[in-house]
Amino acid sequence: MKQHQHPEEIMKQICDQMGEDLNAPVCREVAVHLQECPECKFYFDTVKKTVVLCREMENKKSIPPEVRQRLMKLLLLNKDAQ
Amino acid sequence: MNDSSKIKRVNGTDESLLIKKAKQGNQQSLSELVNRYSERVYNLALRILRNKEDAEDILQETFLTVLKKLSDFDERSSFFTWIYRIATNASLMKLRRKKITASEYLDHPDFEQSVKDRMLQDWSQSPALGVEDQELKKVLDGAINDLSEMYRTVFILRDIEDVSIKDTSQILDISEENVKIRLRRARLFLRDKLSAYFSERIPS
Repeated sequence: MKQHQHPEEIMKQICDQMGEDLNAPVCREVAVHLQECPECKFYFDTVKKTVVLCREMENKKSIPPEVRQRLMKLLLLNKDAQ
Repeated sequence: MNDSSKIKRVNGTDESLLIKKAKQGNQQSLSELVNRYSERVYNLALRILRNKEDAEDILQETFLTVLKKLSDFDERSSFFTWIYRIATNASLMKLRRKKITASEYLDHPDFEQSVKDRMLQDWSQSPALGVEDQELKKVLDGAINDLSEMYRTVFILRDIEDVSIKDTSQILDISEENVKIRLRRARLFLRDKLSAYFSERIPS
């Protein structure tokens, strides 16, 4: 069970990068550090994988035909009332 | 290129004309706008509320609002941003009425520190890791559901809907910096939920 012991600045940059586009190489120092540090790379990879899994799960659903029908009916009725 | 940019590019200049005609009461233009955006609004609501009936309510509420307020739309923001703001606000209102999601974990002042202290286990390369795994799907769904609304909406907009940081900040009326902070916290929260799950499934 190892604890994370890395320079404050590196960790801040990794955290900042995690709020950005995960594929964008916004910080060379972070990228280099990730290559050199398995612990940080594991951490970064698992965050990235989490996002990938969520995206896969949240795939786009089509609107059920009856839902679309009810929507159009409601909007037309609403327009008729105006 | 993210989805919102694609919509702007694909729809291009004809969307302004469409909006202009819809404002004048042209039903065909109005129907075209509904057809263009209804699926995205439905999916957005479904992702935030995680319930089909609620998503339909929001779909209807959003387009009723669009019809009512279309004349006020001044095109200072894109139509996409405008309609997403209406749909997101309606979804949040519904979410608040349904339940108060309080995630003390995320709001804890020591959260940043805990990022550094957490144990590390690399499950990202685990074989057969996919959402076809029903148990994993359930864990992911539960984790997103556990995210409080302020983090959930940013995560859905940015990471699932692929909305830009700038558009997300406009839709939610928060700063771009705040978008990044909330996204980071949402991602780490979800990552930790999965790590807890995998620590039981995968021997370290």
